[in-house]
Amino acid sequence: MENKHTGLYKAFVYLVLILLAIVIVVPIAWVFLASVKSNAEFYGNPWTLPKSFHWENFTSAWTTAGMGKYLGNSVFVTALSLILLIIIALPASYVLARFHFVTQKFWNWFFMLGLFINANYIVVPIFLMLLGGDNFFTKILGHGIFLNNLWMLSLVYASTALPFTIYLLSNYFRTLPASFEEAAYMDGAGYFTTFLKVMAPMARPSIITVILFNFLSFWNEYIMALTLIPGDNKTLPVGLLNLSAAQKSAQNYGQLYAGLVIVMLPTLILYIMVQKQLTEGMTVGGVKG
Amino acid sequence: MNGHAKRNRSIFIVLALAPAIILMTIFMLYPVLSVFQMSLYRWGGYSPDKEFIGFQNFVTLAKDMNFIRAMQNTIVLIVLVTVVTLAFALVFAAILTRVKFKGVGLFRVIFYIPNILSIVVISAIFSAIYDPAQGLLNSVLRLFHPSNWQGVQWLGNEKLVIWSVAIALIWQAIGYYMVMYMSAMASIPEDLYESASLDGATAVRQFFTITIPLTWNTIRTTLTFFVISTINLSFLLVTAMTGGGPNGSTEVFLSYMYKQANTNSAYGYGMAIGVVVFLFSFALSAILQGITKRDVYEF
Amino acid sequence: MKKRWLLTAVVLVASTALLAACGSGSTKNSAKSSGSTSKTLNVAALEGGYGSAPWKQVVKDFESANPGVKVKLTIDKKIESIISPKMKAGDYPDVVHLATGRPDGLTETMIKSKGMEDLSDVKNMTIPGEKKKVSDVLMPGFDGTLATEPYGDGKTYMMPMFYAPTGLFYNKALLKANGWTEPKTFSDLMALGEKAKAKGISLFTYSTTGYMDSLTYSLLADIGGKSFFNKAMSYDHDAWSGKDGTQYFNLVGNLVKQSDKTTVANANNENFRKNQQLILDNKALFMPNGTWVTGEMKDAPRAKGFEWGFMALPGVKADTRYAYTYFEQIWVPKQAKNKALAKKFIAFMYSDKATKDFLKGGAVQPVKNITSQLDAEQKQFYGIYDNGAKVLTGSFQSAKAVEGVNMTDTLFGEITSVTNGTKSISQWQQDVVKAADQLRE
Repeated sequence: MENKHTGLYKAFVYLVLILLAIVIVVPIAWVFLASVKSNAEFYGNPWTLPKSFHWENFTSAWTTAGMGKYLGNSVFVTALSLILLIIIALPASYVLARFHFVTQKFWNWFFMLGLFINANYIVVPIFLMLLGGDNFFTKILGHGIFLNNLWMLSLVYASTALPFTIYLLSNYFRTLPASFEEAAYMDGAGYFTTFLKVMAPMARPSIITVILFNFLSFWNEYIMALTLIPGDNKTLPVGLLNLSAAQKSAQNYGQLYAGLVIVMLPTLILYIMVQKQLTEGMTVGGVKG
Repeated sequence: MNGHAKRNRSIFIVLALAPAIILMTIFMLYPVLSVFQMSLYRWGGYSPDKEFIGFQNFVTLAKDMNFIRAMQNTIVLIVLVTVVTLAFALVFAAILTRVKFKGVGLFRVIFYIPNILSIVVISAIFSAIYDPAQGLLNSVLRLFHPSNWQGVQWLGNEKLVIWSVAIALIWQAIGYYMVMYMSAMASIPEDLYESASLDGATAVRQFFTITIPLTWNTIRTTLTFFVISTINLSFLLVTAMTGGGPNGSTEVFLSYMYKQANTNSAYGYGMAIGVVVFLFSFALSAILQGITKRDVYEF
Repeated sequence: MKKRWLLTAVVLVASTALLAACGSGSTKNSAKSSGSTSKTLNVAALEGGYGSAPWKQVVKDFESANPGVKVKLTIDKKIESIISPKMKAGDYPDVVHLATGRPDGLTETMIKSKGMEDLSDVKNMTIPGEKKKVSDVLMPGFDGTLATEPYGDGKTYMMPMFYAPTGLFYNKALLKANGWTEPKTFSDLMALGEKAKAKGISLFTYSTTGYMDSLTYSLLADIGGKSFFNKAMSYDHDAWSGKDGTQYFNLVGNLVKQSDKTTVANANNENFRKNQQLILDNKALFMPNGTWVTGEMKDAPRAKGFEWGFMALPGVKADTRYAYTYFEQIWVPKQAKNKALAKKFIAFMYSDKATKDFLKGGAVQPVKNITSQLDAEQKQFYGIYDNGAKVLTGSFQSAKAVEGVNMTDTLFGEITSVTNGTKSISQWQQDVVKAADQLRE
């Protein structure tokens, strides 16, 4: 009796899970299939299978539309932003989580408030600030150095991601038992050594989570990239915008969907690489245990 | 602690915090302050003449029916997305952590995938799903209807379209929150469930008496995330999928801000909307934190 | 496990270094070109349906005709997002080719903030490399309207470029197969709708509500002539609320109610081509559009025997029909650094050389001898004015920015609500009148 009951329950749960999985897998598979359709097929029923495989969509997106070059830019910006972000956020989170000092509460609030700032309305002031700097440097060097600079874009990305990252990392640091630091201090290690050799490595699960989250937001970001990089060094999402034709001109749908897949694939690959560690590092909601 | 060690400690704290504080000040605090400042001006965005008008922009906002509708839409989306996603994510997280059967890992991997997609992809997917003539949704529904059935105008009906947007946002968010709740649930000791089972508590009862109370802190925190991310993602999705239409019925906070600041040559007015969005999201989160405050259950 | 991470890190760092090298290389290049000593003209142009190739050729021709002048052409599908942040900070291009009616409304903003240079003297300039003046070659009807003189003060601030007649597009074969004739009046049109309904075909569809502008303008002129059109365009209260205005709202309101059921759902930037596809699939009879639509839909599948048909919007009376002509605009910001050279460049746009270059990409300049150079399909479209339709240009007068009020959002945006029955025609009219009142003050 008891067994039959749990058996039914399990079957029902299985069914629900499988249904939800289908609801997710089918649309994503659709994007992949659409990317090899011919242009004319996009005007008909979107759910038909491709009549033949038009791999040239990818070559044309890669070369003619410059997605290959933009991919390089995106890899550079995303990698640099992540490196900067971790270097800056990790020590700050550690100190905020595990040290007690006079202004600690203030700085916690300072970073918390940052969570509510939306990049969409601060992008113009940031642009104007960088442009002001560029005008100054144009007088001295003959050219600006802040705009059209992928390094600068990375710094801006890293900065705007600080509140959320510090929030996640310091939450994680709070869950670690104090005995590790005490043991390190006993062995005569200083604050820097303790942080670098003992505490930072312990935060690895949380760092992986932070890397994945921020990878996704940096990789897909386009509003800042559009404004701060007005030149040719476009990132992938901005390049993608250019693939969707303006009104009044023919849309190369095959190329557009191939572009969508080119943007999507690296995120899928990274996710599958780190998905096992993902749950471990996500500690929000304060002190536990 | 002697003086030397104390000094070392202070140096460490300052060095660790300084870079983050400096960058935050330059790239977030200063821009936000200038947004606050611009909201007090009438400025088209290009002409050199800026006119200081005090809080006039905010007075106009309070009477602007289009803004009020954008605000209503945003609130509807926040409520819908939060309630539905929260419920689904909690239940699925509980199932995937509690029920032991084959394939749990695979489901977990799949459920998270929508969250890693760019909003452009999501917009393309849901446009194909909602297509009135040949979309997936209407094709499935047509199986249960007579052959002359007109189909549902998922993006054409002004009362329905906000739900269609909400569903896309929920689809994209469930996996993210599910993984968050799973990581909280994973740390609940197994013996709590065992003793509850011995007392004859059903799985549903255990969910409400053990799982929910012990993940309460995480749930509270995610409420803030819901507010922030719904405001942001609804803008990106609406811009890509409906353009705020039909006739403004999916206009949200930031899309209206963008229209006013850029299309309608009212940059100062747009920045006033930015200020309202900032204050609104902060206040809403604070209220949510206040009313969800409970004694933390220890285990 | 550790090794794999190490490997990933190494790959990341290596690719970072490699890309950094590429990145800095290209910045150096651009710095060099901007620092050259010769006179540089900054031209910003929208890459529309005609592509960027014609522009590059025209720039090359201008450079070779003017030794010592270097033109820095910035051309992009979203040119606004490239130049507008720079302009906010005081860095202006010398020449901008960007029309009104774009989603971002940069040109409108420039008009509202009085940020454009007076170009009235360009018409009297001699076209570089030719003997003729600009006014000698410019097609009549393209100047002296609100689209070139936005303040209505007789001063030209924008010069016309690339024109494209608008009207209703349909499938000639479908009409022929059913024995239907082209409707000449609005009542013919509505009567045809009844016949089409019996065959399961919708009378009407529109790409997005933005495409209702050309139909609206033509119809306003059909109803009350050019004077009524101009009154309406200057937000006149009586024009919108009076008898003629009411007639406009009723005609359009009843027409859009005959739209295909799926029109509203697809009337957005992501899906609007699906509405245009309705014509190709014989699911809807007519759509308002411009001559670019045939090129835009060239890859789309179509019903057997399909043949593009194009006619001026049916009039209220058969003998007065206006066909609104879109044209794009080229202008000089007040803060431009090389205004004289910029004007010379604009004058060059009407030279034989430039018009031929543009025509190769399919863009038709409003110059007098142009229709003789067109191919057969283009002649069908550009020839509607030879078949009795009258030229109509211009659009809403520039008004000062009113927070939260936007005429085109109200007049065109609300059409979806009328189409799906959420708003009544009289509510729509009331909203438009209210917006007009607010903008006029």
